[in-house]
Amino acid sequence: MVPDLKPKSKKRKQADDDEEPEPATFRAPVETLEMLSDDEGGEDAASDDGQVDEFPEIDAASDSEDEDVVEGSEPDEEDNEGTDEEDFEEEDSDDSMDRDIFPKPKTIISDITGHPKRVYPEIEPDYDSDSSTEDAPNRVGDVPMHWYDDLPHVGYDMDGKKVLRPARGDELDKFLQTVEDPSAWTSAFDKTAQMDKPLSAEELDIIRRLYGNEVPDAGYDPYEPMTEWFTGKGKEEVMPLSAAPEPKRRWVPSKWEKQKVMKIVRAIRQGRIIPSKLKTTSKKEFYAIWSEPSTSHAPPLPAPKPRLPTNAESYNPPEEYLPTEAERAEWEALDPEDRERDYLPKKHSALRLVPAYDRFIKERFNRQLDLYLAPRIQRVKLNIDPSTLIPKLPSPQSLKPFPNYKSLKFTHSSRARCISVSPDGAWVISGDEGGVVSLWEVNVGREVKRWKFEGKIGALEWCPRTDLSYFVVGIEEALHFVVPPNLSPSVLLLTQNLLAPATLPPAPETPSPVKWVTPPTSSWSSDTAILTVHLPQSSGLPKQITWHRRGDYMATVSGGGTQGGVWMHQITRRHSQAPFKKIRGAVQLVLFHPLKPHFFVATQQYVRIYNLSEQKLLKTLTPGIKWISSMDVHPSGDHLIVGGYDRKLCWFDLELSDKPYKILRYHTRAIRSLAFHPTYPLFASSSDDGAIQVFHSRVYNDLMTDPLIVPLKILRGHTVKEGLGVLQVKWCARQPWLVSGGADGTVGLWCS
Amino acid sequence: MAPSSHPAVFTTQTPYPLPPQMFMIPATWSRYQLSQLVNKALSLAKPIPFDFLLRGDLLKSSLADWCTQNAVGEEETLEIEYIESVLPPQKISDLPHDDWVSSVSCRPGQRFLTASYDGQLRAFDYSQNQTWSSPIHGAAITSFCIVSSTSADSHLVATASHDLTAQLTEISLDSTEKTKPLASFHLHTAPLSHVTSNSTGSRILTASWDGLVGLWDTLVPEDDEVPEPATGDRKKRRKTQENKPKRKAPLTVLKSHTARVSSVVFDDGKTAYSCAFDSTVRLWDLEHGICTNTITVSERPFLSLSLAPSSPSTVLASSTDRTISHYDFRESHPASLLILTHPATPSCIVRSPNHPHQILSGAYDGAARIWDLRSVKGATPVASFKAWDGDKKVLGVDWKIGGIVGIAGEGGLGVWKVGEGS
Repeated sequence: MVPDLKPKSKKRKQADDDEEPEPATFRAPVETLEMLSDDEGGEDAASDDGQVDEFPEIDAASDSEDEDVVEGSEPDEEDNEGTDEEDFEEEDSDDSMDRDIFPKPKTIISDITGHPKRVYPEIEPDYDSDSSTEDAPNRVGDVPMHWYDDLPHVGYDMDGKKVLRPARGDELDKFLQTVEDPSAWTSAFDKTAQMDKPLSAEELDIIRRLYGNEVPDAGYDPYEPMTEWFTGKGKEEVMPLSAAPEPKRRWVPSKWEKQKVMKIVRAIRQGRIIPSKLKTTSKKEFYAIWSEPSTSHAPPLPAPKPRLPTNAESYNPPEEYLPTEAERAEWEALDPEDRERDYLPKKHSALRLVPAYDRFIKERFNRQLDLYLAPRIQRVKLNIDPSTLIPKLPSPQSLKPFPNYKSLKFTHSSRARCISVSPDGAWVISGDEGGVVSLWEVNVGREVKRWKFEGKIGALEWCPRTDLSYFVVGIEEALHFVVPPNLSPSVLLLTQNLLAPATLPPAPETPSPVKWVTPPTSSWSSDTAILTVHLPQSSGLPKQITWHRRGDYMATVSGGGTQGGVWMHQITRRHSQAPFKKIRGAVQLVLFHPLKPHFFVATQQYVRIYNLSEQKLLKTLTPGIKWISSMDVHPSGDHLIVGGYDRKLCWFDLELSDKPYKILRYHTRAIRSLAFHPTYPLFASSSDDGAIQVFHSRVYNDLMTDPLIVPLKILRGHTVKEGLGVLQVKWCARQPWLVSGGADGTVGLWCS
Repeated sequence: MAPSSHPAVFTTQTPYPLPPQMFMIPATWSRYQLSQLVNKALSLAKPIPFDFLLRGDLLKSSLADWCTQNAVGEEETLEIEYIESVLPPQKISDLPHDDWVSSVSCRPGQRFLTASYDGQLRAFDYSQNQTWSSPIHGAAITSFCIVSSTSADSHLVATASHDLTAQLTEISLDSTEKTKPLASFHLHTAPLSHVTSNSTGSRILTASWDGLVGLWDTLVPEDDEVPEPATGDRKKRRKTQENKPKRKAPLTVLKSHTARVSSVVFDDGKTAYSCAFDSTVRLWDLEHGICTNTITVSERPFLSLSLAPSSPSTVLASSTDRTISHYDFRESHPASLLILTHPATPSCIVRSPNHPHQILSGAYDGAARIWDLRSVKGATPVASFKAWDGDKKVLGVDWKIGGIVGIAGEGGLGVWKVGEGS
């Protein structure tokens, strides 16, 4: 096969010469081989195996490098060995690098000092290392050595001096050398040194392996035991695959499927099935990304612009910006946080005279502190005008009339504990703790009549009937019915007939502990009571007298006694009864509903509403007050205000809830009295702080609108005496005037 | 700064006119200098103090101050009206009473007649002695008026009382003769608040808390026109048995007010005004007994009423919102001309007997105030004087020609001399 190959390769050689004109190619094929062996040593080794005969056909279209390989198959053994030797050396150096990267030191006894010392092996320079350390005398470089064939030297050393060709013996010397030197057959020719160098054991081993057609690397074990990653013991399949032959249906198309598909196809063709519309619409969706901004996110806020420097911050400010000594002292006296501006204007005649900024470091440090300590979140700042949070209330000026000044006052010698205004709004009775009841004109304040009773006056109240005129005074365990003077004869007659009828109504079947006593006609006088109701023993002072709006029923609350001290009196029948056999808690106040037969009972903490006709409990209101002091019901009957000694005033909408609709805490001391005006949308509260507060309270018939409560006026004028302020307030009927009785003994009239 | 001066023209309604001439007045001048200027220009034998009104505002400080307050430029010509100034009132005497005095009259010559809440009429002479007293009513007298006088000492007096009646009484201030109750007026079912008579003494008007105004004549009937009720206050009956007045019925009842009528005044013989707590002032045609005109204001219960001086068909009414309002009935929609604001409830008004622009008001803070109606700003009175120390109310005032002012109230009767300039 080789002779066949030759002419072809010759031809190719010609072509090769055309490409790179190299005159020495013919004469010294060894050099050419060596050149190539530098490049691809591995392939040279393969070419010696005798498997070269396959190459030419493959190589027909290959490039020149492959041709050189073919050429390389020609030279003699010796040259071949030389190339191999070089390769071995390289391999060896590689191996030594691989084996011990960090060479171990040897410990020897130093000759000079006599102490043991570590001696490291010489570092063998690699191709990685600097080649300048190599002790190669010939520095001719990578040139074909046959250039020096005719010359006495083989190159130049580092100093430019000629390196002479070592003397080489003739063939006889070579032969003798091989005879004398047993290792001569394991040496190879070094082309740069132009002498034979012995091969190392590793190189020889590689050569041997290559000849034995083995893996050249001695460290590579081609027969490593298999590591069973996926199969083997313990990794068997749990469900073995069936060995049954595959059924036919696996590869035969399904007849039934075909039938079904054909049925659908036929239905589509006949129009019985209308295929659904295509999901993708041909219309393209366009997004006008520029026309409107996306609204889901607010655009990021632009960074605040730094304030522009002003004249005062100039290095050469006008004179008027310079601080005076006083301003400077004031600025320096302030804390840095309180200063309006953090600098003082200074004047420099030229910009080059401006000193370095003295607070630079400190400001940078503070900035770093800010960055370090400040949380990195975007804080949503509530940009709310505080005034919008205040509920919109109409101005008090638009809600006139309401009492706003003290028109006159009436003086008692002791605490004016209870007052009452006649139903026509013309007369006031006021009772004090000394047992004096005074009747006086609302508008002039002139006392017209005075009655004296034994003991404190606990409560007094006019009868709300307008065709009659009398009032009830509650003192210790008794109620006195008194007729005021200067009545028209018809009214007087009617009143006397009611309170002291000629024929007494029949006595009730069940004897009542309450006695109704009328003094004989002969002893009547305007100074004494026309009728007296004696409450049972130890019932104490009546705290409250309240009338039903018709003026026939009257309820009293006494301090002591059983049944909570509540008594219901009927004037026409001259009969009294206790509405509650037993009641939980101490009754503070009672009230009649203005329209319905309902009865409000306030104990210390709760207000209970009873239906008197059905005799059952309707509702229990929990104002959340520790101790209820006062209560009044709106003339419409749908709203209730409750005041307590803990300064709270609760507004209840009786249609809505058991809980207060609104809680007002405007007084600084305990609330003593509350009163709704019968006709005007007003109510007043009086307190131990000596003040009376007047509120506008508009109630709407429309169930959807909440009552409007507007604080109107704080009336001050009563002095606080022994911790007690204004004990009772009452409204004048028909006029927006307020009457207030205080612990200082004065009763004031507050006019609009 | 050079002292600036204002061009000014002086006008007056007093009998001391200046020639129409422009004056340059230094801006620093105040009332005193201006008054001196007028006196010198007129070369009056006896100096008369003047007050000066600038655009209806009484000059209290210097001209410059007034100009800055009212934003008047220096070059504007000021029109200064001058009036005879009211001398500071002087207290003449203090006549204490046992009870509150509701009403006073200075009309009897050299006497003061007072009505008190204890139901008595009293008379005092100028030497502070109580010369006469007589119980007229069993209850408080709220108001009285002298209907006619036959002589200096004997008068026909109408009194209104809390006992629901008014009474016509003939009194003789000589203590020798007894008082003679002539007739009692029975109409009202509530206490009476005011009684007044016309100038001729032929008609009497009573106002009451029940919202009615009664018109009565002063003829004493021969017999009772109103039957006596079957049962009554026996005390009153016993008292009146000795000298029983005739029970008299009204000529006409004027019904329109819905609340207490507080005051009523005659305008002339045929019309009258009344004011009430229902915030209305009504003009009545007495011949037909109908209300011909009404002024309704919001929430201003009226307490007292007086005819305005020198301007017909206008009235002054005081109300509980501490104001005195001036109403003109001639306009189609009567409105308040001016409002005089008081620090306390003004309870009574009287117009000056001879001065065409002045009124006197008494208030619950115990002070009486003289107002000039030309001073339209109405904020400050011309003169103010406290009748009593403390917080005692003034309930009635009367002003007699000659500058004698009687102030009745909680502290009794105070007599003051008010200078009227002449």
